[in-house]
Amino acid sequence: MNDVNKNLSSMILEHFGKDTVQIESLKPGLIAIHASSEKNRDIIKTFLDADDEATLSAISGVDLGDSTEVLYHIRTHGTIVTLRCIVPRNKPTIASITDLIPGANFHERETADFFGVTFKGHPYPKRLLISDDWPEGVYPLRKDAEIPSPETKAEVLPEEEMTTRAEGTRTVKIVIGPQHPALLEPERFLVDVDGETVTKVTPRIGYCHRGVEKATESRTYMQDVYLVERICGICNSCHSTTFCQAVESILDVEVPSRGKFLRTIVLELNRIQSHFLVLGHAGHEIGYDALFQYMWRDREIAMDLTEILTGNRVITSFLAIGGVRRDLEEKTKPRIMEDLKKLRERAEFYKHLFEEDRTVRMRTEGVGVMDKKEALSLCVVGPVARASGLKIDVRKEAPYAAYGEVPYELISRTEGDSWARLLVRAEEVLNSVDMIEYAVNNLPAGDFKIRVPRRVAEGESISRVEAPRGELFYYVKSNGTQSPERVKIRTPTVTNLYSVIKLTEGGNIADVPAALVSLDPCFSCTDR
Amino acid sequence: MCASRLVRWAEKRSPWLLHFNSGACNGCDIEVVALLTPRYDVTRFGIQLEPSPRHADVLLVTGVVTRQCAERLKRIYEQMPKPAFVIAIGACGCSGGVFAGNYPLLSGVDKVIPVDMYIPGCPPKPEAIIDGVVKLLKTLEASEDE
Amino acid sequence: MVSIDLVFFIRSLLFPGFLFILLMSLFYDWVTRKVEARMQNRVGPNTAGPAGIFQPLADIVKLLAKERLVPHDVRSLAFTLAPVLSLAIFIFTLFFLPIDGSTTLSGISFEGDLIVILSIITLANLFLFLAGWASTNAYSKIGASRVLVMFLGYDIPLVIIALTPAFLANSLSVSTIATSQSIPFLFLIPWSFVLFLVTLQAELEKDPFDIPDAETEIVGGYETEYGGTGLAFLKLAKDVQLFLGSALVVELFLGGPYGPVYFDMPALWFTIWFILKVLFVVILGEFIANIFARLRIDQVLSISWKQVMPLSVVSLMATLIVAFWVLPIIGVGG
Repeated sequence: MNDVNKNLSSMILEHFGKDTVQIESLKPGLIAIHASSEKNRDIIKTFLDADDEATLSAISGVDLGDSTEVLYHIRTHGTIVTLRCIVPRNKPTIASITDLIPGANFHERETADFFGVTFKGHPYPKRLLISDDWPEGVYPLRKDAEIPSPETKAEVLPEEEMTTRAEGTRTVKIVIGPQHPALLEPERFLVDVDGETVTKVTPRIGYCHRGVEKATESRTYMQDVYLVERICGICNSCHSTTFCQAVESILDVEVPSRGKFLRTIVLELNRIQSHFLVLGHAGHEIGYDALFQYMWRDREIAMDLTEILTGNRVITSFLAIGGVRRDLEEKTKPRIMEDLKKLRERAEFYKHLFEEDRTVRMRTEGVGVMDKKEALSLCVVGPVARASGLKIDVRKEAPYAAYGEVPYELISRTEGDSWARLLVRAEEVLNSVDMIEYAVNNLPAGDFKIRVPRRVAEGESISRVEAPRGELFYYVKSNGTQSPERVKIRTPTVTNLYSVIKLTEGGNIADVPAALVSLDPCFSCTDR
Repeated sequence: MCASRLVRWAEKRSPWLLHFNSGACNGCDIEVVALLTPRYDVTRFGIQLEPSPRHADVLLVTGVVTRQCAERLKRIYEQMPKPAFVIAIGACGCSGGVFAGNYPLLSGVDKVIPVDMYIPGCPPKPEAIIDGVVKLLKTLEASEDE
Repeated sequence: MVSIDLVFFIRSLLFPGFLFILLMSLFYDWVTRKVEARMQNRVGPNTAGPAGIFQPLADIVKLLAKERLVPHDVRSLAFTLAPVLSLAIFIFTLFFLPIDGSTTLSGISFEGDLIVILSIITLANLFLFLAGWASTNAYSKIGASRVLVMFLGYDIPLVIIALTPAFLANSLSVSTIATSQSIPFLFLIPWSFVLFLVTLQAELEKDPFDIPDAETEIVGGYETEYGGTGLAFLKLAKDVQLFLGSALVVELFLGGPYGPVYFDMPALWFTIWFILKVLFVVILGEFIANIFARLRIDQVLSISWKQVMPLSVVSLMATLIVAFWVLPIIGVGG
C-alpha cells in the first residue's frame, strides 16, 4: 500500500476504530473501506474535512442476491478510496449524502433506479434513467429482475406538463428537447422563463438509456469491448480503453509498451476530434455558423488520421484486452506527421480566435460562472473543472497507457465561465498534437498485444481514463466466468450535467445553449 | 399536369431534413451533422437541416428508439406535413444494432413509424448517407407516378 | 391620380411590379445563399438549375404543395393572414421606389412618401410579430416578443438616418431623393450610409441581429408552427423584405436606378443599374452577417441605445452641416 493510502487508512482507523471499519487493499494503489450503512455519512464527512479537494467520483451498486452493496468512490489526494456499505433487500434504505456533496444527486437516483435502494433525505427522488412507462418495482440491474417485454407499458408517470403560463405569474414554461436544434441528442429540460430570465431548470434524462450495464453481464469480455465502445460515438476509444484496463488489472497482465503508446495516440486523436467538434458546435450555438463550418472542416484532418491508424472514422474498434488490434505502419508515418503539422496550425488559429474575437467573447464571457468551491461540491470533472481552477486530470493523478512518458501538460484557467471552458479545450488540442508527435516518433518496438485468458478469475478493479469530457470511471467485478459479474460505468457527463442547473438559473435564456455547450454534454454517455 | 411536374421537380430539389436522435451513441449523428460541413456539403442538393418538424420533409432518425423516446418520435412524425419520408440511419435505427434486445428499447425505428429508407453502418460514412438520401429522392418520381 | 388602364396592370402585376419583385427576391435569396456558402468554404446550392439559381423557387413551390396543417389552438384568422399580409405590404411598399426610372404606378409618389414607406415597413414587421403571437407555441411567442423588443432598439435610429438624405436632397419623396444624386450620397455622408447598413441588418433580422430567428435557442422563432403554405409566405415575405431594404439603401444613398444610359434605352439601363446596385448591397449585408456571432437581445438594446442612437443624432447634425453649408459652397444638391 503506498503512502497516500497508508495515511488515509490510519486516519479512518483513528476516527472509527477496528470494530466499525475494515480496510481492504483492492489492488496496488486502491483501498476499500467496509463499514455498516449507518456510518456512510460520518466516514464521507471525515474525508471531506481532511482534504479541501475531496469529492465524490461515483456511486456503484452491486446486487449480492439478498442484499445490495453500495460503493461510494471518493476522490481524494489524487486517488480513489472506496467505501462499501451493505444494504439488505428487505430494508433497502441508506442515508443520502446530497447535503454534504450536492453533486451526488444524480448518482444516488441512478442507484435507486437500478437497485431499488432508497436514499433517505434526497431532495428530488424521481426516476433518472428509467423510462416513464416502466413498471414500478422492477429494478433492472438486480439479477432476478423480471424484465417486461417491449410491448408492455405500465401506467405512464405524468411528466411535468408544459403550460404556457403558470397561474398568476409571468412565468412561461418552455421545453428544450427531446427534439431541439440546440441538442444533437435527446434530453428534456423544462425551463421556467420570466421574460428573458431563466428562473428554474429541471433536467429529465434517460432518453438515450440503452441498458448497457445490464447487457455487459450477458456477453463475454471480448464482446463487451465492442459493446462499451458504442456507448458514445465521440469518446468511443476511451470507453474501450477503460474497460480493457480494468480487465487487465483483474487479470494482472501488463500491456506491452508499443501497445500502450498506440493506445495513447488513438486517445489523443479522439480528444482532438472531440474538442474540435464541441468548439465548432459552440460556434453554431452562438450563431456563428462560419466558425462551425471551418472547425468541422479542419476536424476532418483528425478523422483522416484516425482512419489511417484504425481503419474507421468514428467507432475505432482499435482496443483489445491485452493491447490493441492493429499496428501503426511505418509507411503512414510521413503522412501522419504532415497532417499533424496542419492540425497544429489550425489549432493555433482557433485558439487565437477564441481569445480575441469580440462577438464570441461577448456571448461567452461571464456566462455560466462556476467557482472552484462550487465545482468541487457539484463533482464536475474534465475541462469544466479545470476551467474553474480545479486541477484534476487522470493523466496527471494516475497516469495510464503511455502518459507517464509523453509530454503532457495540465491546462487550467480560473475564470470558470463558458469562455474559459472553451479556451481550455482549445489549448488542450495543441498539447494533444504534441503528445501524438512524440508518441509517433518514439514508438517502442515489439509486440502491441499479448494473449489473455477467456475466463477471468474472481476479482474487482477500478480503472479511470481522462476522456475528452473528463474522468471516465469503470468498476468491474468478475466472477470466474467468461462474462463479468458487474460493470459500473460512470461517464464524465453524468457527473457534469447536474451543474447545468447552477450555470443557467438566473441567467438569460439566450445563454442556455452557450452554457450547455460549454459543459460539452454527451447525453448518450450520460444515459448509457 | 404541368403543375404536378413542377411540384415533383421542386420536391426532389428541396428536401429539408429534420434530424432526431432516438437513443443513439452519437456516432451516426455526428456523421449527419458532418454532411453540412465543407467536405461533404449537402446544401448543394438543396438539403437544409431544419429546426422544427413542421418545416421538414425528411425525418432522419438515428438510434434504437428507447422506450422514453418512442412516444416523442411518433408525435414528431405526426407533426410533419405530408408528404414526409423517414430514413433510419445506422445499424441501431435499422434493427437495434449492438443493443438489440436490451430492456429499455424498442430496437428499430420501424417499430414506431413507417420507414422509407434504411442506411446500415455503425456509423455509416457520410458518403453512404448522401447515397441513401439521393436514392430516396430518385424514388420520389417513381412513387408519385403510382 | 393613378389611371386604371392596361399600362397600370402591366406595370403593377408584371414589371416592375409583382412578378418582377418576386423573381428578384428569389434571385437575391440565391445570392445570399451562395455568398454564405463561399464564405463558409462550401459550394452552396448547385443542382436546381444552372449554378442552383432555381433553388429558392424549388423551396417555395415545394412548401406550397404540402399538406395544410393548422395547430388546433391557434387564433386561426390571424395565423393564416399574418404571413400573407406581411408579404403583401412589403410588395406594395416597393411600388414607391423608382426601379426603371419611375415608380411602378405613375403619380404614386408624393412629398413625404419616405415617411410613409418607413411606417409601412414597421407595420409589416408587426405582422411578422403577429404571426408568432397567433401560434400557441411558447417558442413562437418568445420569437414574436423578440421582434418587438428589437424594434424598440433600432427603429428610431433607422428613421433618423433615413431622413438624412432628405436634408441633402431637400425633399421627403424617395423619387426626388433618388434623382437628386448627381454625386451619390454615399460619398457625401458616408457615416450615414454605414449607420443605415447597421440598422438595416437589425431590421432584416440578420446576424449579428438575427435574434428572433435564433434557431438554437428558440427553434424556429415565430416561424415554428408554420408549415407548408404559411411558411412559404413567411419565407417570401422575408425575401421581399431583403429586397425592399436593399432597394431603399440604393435609392437613398447609391443614386437610385440612375446611371449611364446607352443606345437611348433608359428604362432598360436604369433597371440594370438598379439590379446591380441592389446586388452590391445584398452581398455587403450577407458578408457582414457571416463574420459575426449572434448577439444577445440585451446586448443589442444596449448597443442600440448607447451607441447607435447617439451616433445617429451626431450623424444628423453632421449631415445638416453638409447640407446647409458645404453643399452650397460646392454648388451641388437640389
